[in-house]
Amino acid sequence: MALFLAFFVFIPCLMIQIGILSNLPLLQGYPDLTLLVLLAWSLRPEVRSAWQWGVIGGLLMTFVSAMPVGVYLLAYLLVVAIVQFTRRMVWRLPFLTMLVMTILGTFLTYGLSLIVLEFFGRDVSLGDALWTILIPSVLYNLLLALPVYAVIGELARWIYPVEPIYES
Amino acid sequence: MNTTSRNLQTIVFVLIAVGMIALALGGYLTSLSRFFLSPLVEIQTWVYSRFQVAQDILRAPQDMARLQQRNAQLEAQVSQLQAQIIELQQQLTEARILSALVDFARANPENRYQAAAVIGRDPSPFLRYIIINRGSDDNIRRGMPVVTQQGLVGRIDAVTANAARVQLITDSASVVNAKIQPSGAQAVLKGQTSGDLLLDMIPQGVSIEVGNLVLTSGLGGGYPPNIVIGQIAGIRSQPQELFQSATVQSVVDFNQLEIVLVIVNFRPVNIEPLIPEGSQP
Repeated sequence: MALFLAFFVFIPCLMIQIGILSNLPLLQGYPDLTLLVLLAWSLRPEVRSAWQWGVIGGLLMTFVSAMPVGVYLLAYLLVVAIVQFTRRMVWRLPFLTMLVMTILGTFLTYGLSLIVLEFFGRDVSLGDALWTILIPSVLYNLLLALPVYAVIGELARWIYPVEPIYES
Repeated sequence: MNTTSRNLQTIVFVLIAVGMIALALGGYLTSLSRFFLSPLVEIQTWVYSRFQVAQDILRAPQDMARLQQRNAQLEAQVSQLQAQIIELQQQLTEARILSALVDFARANPENRYQAAAVIGRDPSPFLRYIIINRGSDDNIRRGMPVVTQQGLVGRIDAVTANAARVQLITDSASVVNAKIQPSGAQAVLKGQTSGDLLLDMIPQGVSIEVGNLVLTSGLGGGYPPNIVIGQIAGIRSQPQELFQSATVQSVVDFNQLEIVLVIVNFRPVNIEPLIPEGSQP
């Protein structure tokens, strides 16, 4: 169920991202809605399908983007790994964790993209990339992080309902 | 006696009544009737107005509900009409763009075009690609040039059955062989991460000026010749360097792309096998 749901969540997100958000840049940067959804889903304590969602999100992004194959997949799986590690340590402050993970996840995804593009011989100006793409994208992602967390949180509660504990 | 007196009273009463009626019909009692009726009319008006106020108060909830319902209906109608206006404005804009594209296609009869709508952009902000709603089902192939009525947009990078991805000339991996008019000098146009265009490899001896036109040269077989790219906006020339470079202002607004034309009768030439191995980048 959770795996099928990943497609129903990621595909509309991707459509919004490539159709709407990509046309509303902040300087040259725009948000990664798929990453935010993945972060919000992975941060939920009741969720047990974060890795699968990482794979599905990465594959869908690979299919749509001209980025070399595997960049998004690798980046998203690394993000899930970091979230899984962090979730065990910080679990009382989900909103704060979401914000911190948004910053980390964006830097990781875009940093990896930059490294791969340089490796493939693209003439990427690091100064331009940092100030006109990376930092505006982080700000954009931070702006959307909490609404996405709230929506995905409701979805997670619906998929993984918490059973009430009755004391005898 | 009594009977006679009663009859007399009746007769007098009838005569008075007939007289009064006659006087009233003759208009002789108007001032008198006004004197008596005016206060009555005033009182009646006041009573009736109070009654109407009371009736309005009692009826108000029903009227309010009806008015609210009517208001909601009218608001829905207004929203619907506004949506229609927006849709019609959009259709008008599209018609204008298509008309300009048709004019462009007529002016360049040597090429065959396939119009396509832009339906998205690459999700990565480091890459400059657009997605169009035409694919291999519409004879779109990899490498075909993409233009608008203004000038060069890019070329097809990947194709599915009913969609294709176009690499814009502003993408940092895009390289276009160009020529500068009026000097005719050859140069290489490269996209930048910032979305700007850099014209590189301009020989030092060539005289170029801001405002010079930049066109595709057709060299290398990647693009057809003489498609407008833009104008030179700034020149960087150092005497100790082998080549000059220049920034180019594209004639196409890449942020406002809605409909593009794919040149479907152009087949790019792959010259890679002809390039010696050591000189390949």
